[in-house]
Parts: sequence; structure tokens; C-alpha cells
Amino acid sequence: MRKLFTSIMKEIIVLTRDLGGLLIIFLMPMVLVFVMAMIQDSTFRKMDETQLQVAFINEDRDSVGLAIEEGLNHSDMIILEKEYDNKPLDRESLIRLVGDGTFQIGIIVPAGVSQNLRKKAMYLVEKAFEDEEYPVVMVETEPSLVILYFDPVIKHSFRETVRMALSKLTYGIESQMVFKLFSQKVSELLDTDNSLDYDPSGIIQLEEHNAVNSRTEVIPNSVQHNVPAWAVFAMFFILIPLTANIIKERNNGSMLRIRLMPGSYLVTIFSKIIVYLFISMIQFLLMLLVGILILPLFGLPLLEIGDHIFALIVMIMATGLAATAFGLALGSIFNTPEQAAAFGSVSVIIMAALGGIWVPVFVMPSIMQTISTFSPLNWGLEGFYTIFLRGGGIIGILPQVALLLAFCLVCMIVAFYFLRLKKN
Amino acid sequence: MTDIAIKIENISKTYRGSLVPAVDDITLDIPRGVKYGLLGPNGAGKTTTISILTGLLNYDSGKVFINGMQLEKKYKKIRQQIGLVPQDIALYDTLSARENLRFIAEMYGLKGKELHNRIEECLEMVGLAGNGRKQIRRYSGGMKRRVNLVAGILHRPDILILDEPTTGVDVQSRKMILEFLEEINKQGTTIIYTSHYLEEAEDLCDTIAIIDDGKLIIHGNTREIIKSKEEYTSLESVFLHLTGRKLRD
Repeated sequence: MRKLFTSIMKEIIVLTRDLGGLLIIFLMPMVLVFVMAMIQDSTFRKMDETQLQVAFINEDRDSVGLAIEEGLNHSDMIILEKEYDNKPLDRESLIRLVGDGTFQIGIIVPAGVSQNLRKKAMYLVEKAFEDEEYPVVMVETEPSLVILYFDPVIKHSFRETVRMALSKLTYGIESQMVFKLFSQKVSELLDTDNSLDYDPSGIIQLEEHNAVNSRTEVIPNSVQHNVPAWAVFAMFFILIPLTANIIKERNNGSMLRIRLMPGSYLVTIFSKIIVYLFISMIQFLLMLLVGILILPLFGLPLLEIGDHIFALIVMIMATGLAATAFGLALGSIFNTPEQAAAFGSVSVIIMAALGGIWVPVFVMPSIMQTISTFSPLNWGLEGFYTIFLRGGGIIGILPQVALLLAFCLVCMIVAFYFLRLKKN
Repeated sequence: MTDIAIKIENISKTYRGSLVPAVDDITLDIPRGVKYGLLGPNGAGKTTTISILTGLLNYDSGKVFINGMQLEKKYKKIRQQIGLVPQDIALYDTLSARENLRFIAEMYGLKGKELHNRIEECLEMVGLAGNGRKQIRRYSGGMKRRVNLVAGILHRPDILILDEPTTGVDVQSRKMILEFLEEINKQGTTIIYTSHYLEEAEDLCDTIAIIDDGKLIIHGNTREIIKSKEEYTSLESVFLHLTGRKLRD
């Protein structure tokens, strides 16, 4: 135990006197989180909460036009604009402004739509109570059109969203009008003053929940993605100082000397694992603090870390162990710190790209989403997503923890195999 | 305890991927208390032999006994009795000399006052007591060599194996190192020493072995070997006669 403590203290002193290593370990990831969260913020907002600029002309100025305007104004996704450059929009300017991308969508409610709808509704009611002696005659009316213009580059999903919203609104208005006229007609026939109100929001309501443990439901914001993502990346990047440490120790003969000391070889290896694991935990803590304390100062969302602190600690340790073991394996395979650093950094960057660190997995093509499940960085990130976004606890992260520990075990076996090979 | 510090019986070692053995059937007895020079040109097999003796390298065949104990069977005990001074500066350059020595001493199980006294004694012996707090990277080559040297004797081994301990040091440091080796030898430590400086080896070593291409060419008392033939005027002339003048890689 005393030897382990001695070896740990030695590792800590060596590390704290390596300014370059400290910068790589602590400062670089914090800067990365900050920069990437800032850069990707608008992209995430587009995916998650983009508001569409909709040009709107209400020529109807009657119940249909007013109901559509009110309905769209209530939508979180839509910003309704009736003016541009302090001038009211007309049809010509609306088409031009949507065409040049100033607005993504243009909506025109032509004059007389309400009147036409009312006539058709009246016809339907009268038809229902038709007296054979006095047949109801359909009055010729203009078709009740609401005209939509789309920016050609707008995503299909946005078109569908607006189309659905408008359909819902117009169905509601139609139903409300028909129901009201029916109600009036029935009151008239029964000679009562009772009339029924119709709630256009419908009788069947939708109850919405976020499905816990569902991979596809979770769309994080920039902070919720970038903080854990770059923290995992940074944890794996400790392989650069770690491999340099191992290879230098081996090349300068210190490891020979250590191997001659009774019971010191394994102690030295384990002391490295303990120290670098501890460092990875501090790294993660610092990244969390950036997400909680610094990023909100720059207008970014606050990092939510969920309620499962124990699961978070387990997840950090599993990721840290995987990263440390990877560094240990590379340090035992390569002969120079330069080789190890070059291979190590490129491999981490590739695993990061595949694992959804740079670009979230949910925006990747399906084949890449499948490939991403083979990246240890993805296992780490998914585990943190589970805790931060899905409200998952220790059970929720078990698959990722198991994968990371298995990776750690494989790396350890590789490390000891190569250390033994080099002995011979 | 036997009078033979190290007994090597027919050891051979061929590295993976090599067709030529690095050590080829060497048999050798190194008496206790000698200053033994293990000499040979580059690639002769000196470092391989040292690595085998310290248990750091597995060998293919033969037997090695250290202080009468077979290497593989009693390795835990044996390695406490061996000190190694590697060819490279096997120290942490961002630690001070004292911190380096403290780490090594603690890993050898020293503690308390004994640990403190041993470190101070060692620094004193190599004239570095006043510079013990300096980081190794700020030392000159000679100072580094001296710390590297005492790092091998902190645990007071019976056998000290040195792989070219004076390479690249100034005359003063070299003299100091050689005097230091004489001194610890007088205290009973068996010295096994490799070097390319044959004059230095001739002065220091009372017994030598010359190996080339992994084979033992000659071994015995240094003076007797030099006197054994008329054409041998110095250890260097013995060396050149036996190993030739062909350049080695």
C-alpha cells in the first residue's frame, strides 16, 4: 500500500510539473466545450426549436382569417409577420419575399373566405332540415382557398408542420361554424334559447410524454450535447500525456529500474491508472462547471445533469477507465511518444467523429448511426445522455458501463501482452 | 554464502525475429567482491547479458545463479540483492534528485530515518548534497550520471551492475564515479561493469570477460590476460586482437 501511495505521489508530481500535459488535460477541453457549444448553438436550435418566419396577409378580415391569424400566433414555431420594412405586405411583396428567402412561408387568406364558408355551412344545415315542398338550392360560391407559398429550400418537415397546423385550424373553424348553425337551427325549431358551444380543440385530447430510455426521442440542446461530448473526448485525449509518460519511462530505463524493485512493476502500472482516472474525473467536473456556470453567461442554456449523481459518478469512472486503459495499451505498443501521440490523437478523433461527438448521432445517416455504436466514445456519450436527458439511473447506463469496462479489459490485456512481448 | 556471486551456465538468447543469437552458450563465474569488466564491441551481447542477469529478459536455455540461488526460482529475493545502473539516465527529469532517490528508496521498502539518512549519504557521496532540490533536467550530464549511479545503490545491493556508467561525462565526474565504485567495492559490493573506455576498464577491473557476437572469447584476471601474450600491451590491444578491427553497427 505504501508503495502504491509512493508511486501515486510520484505520478502526481511528474504530471503537475508538465505544463504542456496539464494544458492538454484541463484547459484544452474547457476551451473546446466553450467554443463548440457557442458554434453549434444555433444549429441545435434549428433542429430543436427553430421558429419559422411566416408572411401573412389577411384579406378576409372575417372569422376564418381572424381564427387562422390567432391560431398561428399561438404557435411556438411560427412568427407571423404582416408587415415588412414598416409597410403592410401585399400579394406581390409576399411572393417576392418568400421567393428570396426573407420569409420561409407566405400565407394569404383571400377576401370572402369566411363568407363562402358561411354560405356552404348554411346550405348543409338547411339541407339537413329540408322540407320536400321547399327544396334547398345551393348558392354558387367561390372555392374557399387559403393560399400558401413556400421558400423552395425549406425542409419538407417544415412544410408539413405548417400544412398540418393550417389544416387543423381550418377544420376547427369549419366544424365550429357548422355546429353553431346547426345549434341555432335546432333552437329555432324547438323554440328555445338554448344554444351549444363547440370547442374547436376537439374532444379527443393528446397526452404527450418523453419516453425514457428511448434513443430516438432525445434531441439535446447545444450545451447538453457539447459538454458531455467534449468531456468524453478530453478524457480519451489524456492518452497523449499518459503514453508519453509510459514510453519515456520505458525508454530512459526507469521502467527497467522499477521492474528490478520487488513488487513495484504492477504497483507502478496501477498507480498510473489511479492517477489518470482521478484526472479524468476532475476533467469531467470542470466541464460540468463550464456548462453550469460559464456557458449560461453567454446566453447558452444551463446544463441539466439530472438527479442520478451516483450513476453519473459510475459513468465518469467507466469512461475514465476505458480512456486510461486505451492510453496504457498505446503506450505499451508504440516505441516513441511521437508515434503514440500521432496514432492516439487521430484514432480518438476518428472514434469521436463516429461516436457522435462532433456531429450528434441522430443527424447521421442510418448506416453511420449503426457504425457509431462501435465507438467507445459513443458509449460514453450515450451513457451521459441517458443520465442528463432521459432521466436514467444506474440501470439505464448499465449497457454503456459494461461496454466501456469490456473495452478497458481488452486494452489492459493488449497492454500487458505488449509489455511482456517487449521484455522478450 | 558461496564465493561465486554470479554463475552463468550455457545461457543462450535469440531475439524474436532474429536468426543470430544475441548471447550464444555463455558460461561464466563471477567471484564475489570483484570488479568485473564485461567488455565487447557494439552489438556483442553485453546489454543482453546484463538484462538476463538482472532478470529483466527471459533467456532461451541455460541457467543463472545469483548468490547461489537460481534466478527464476528465487527472483523475488535475488532482485533485492542486485542494483542496476542503466546506460540511460533512468530518472524522472522533472523531479529533483532528492525526489527521485526518495521514490526509488521507498519502492525498495526503505522508510523513516533510514530512508532519509540513506538519501543524504548517497547525495553526499557523489557531491550533490547542495543540489538535491534541483530538478534533474537542470543538471549537467555529469551530475545526472552521478545521481543515476547512486540510485542503483540506495538499497545497498550485494551486486551492482553498471551499463556504461561514464558515457558522456567530463573528466572530473568520471574520476569521481570510478573512485566511488572503488569505494563501494572495498565495502564488499561486487561490481559488474561494461564500458567502451578500455583504459578505464583496465584501471578499474581486476577481472574481465570479452564477448563478441554473443560468444565469450576470453575471461580471467585483467593483468594476467594482458601479460599472457607478448603482443598484448594493454587491454585495448587484447581487445583489438580478439575482436578485430572491423567496424561494428
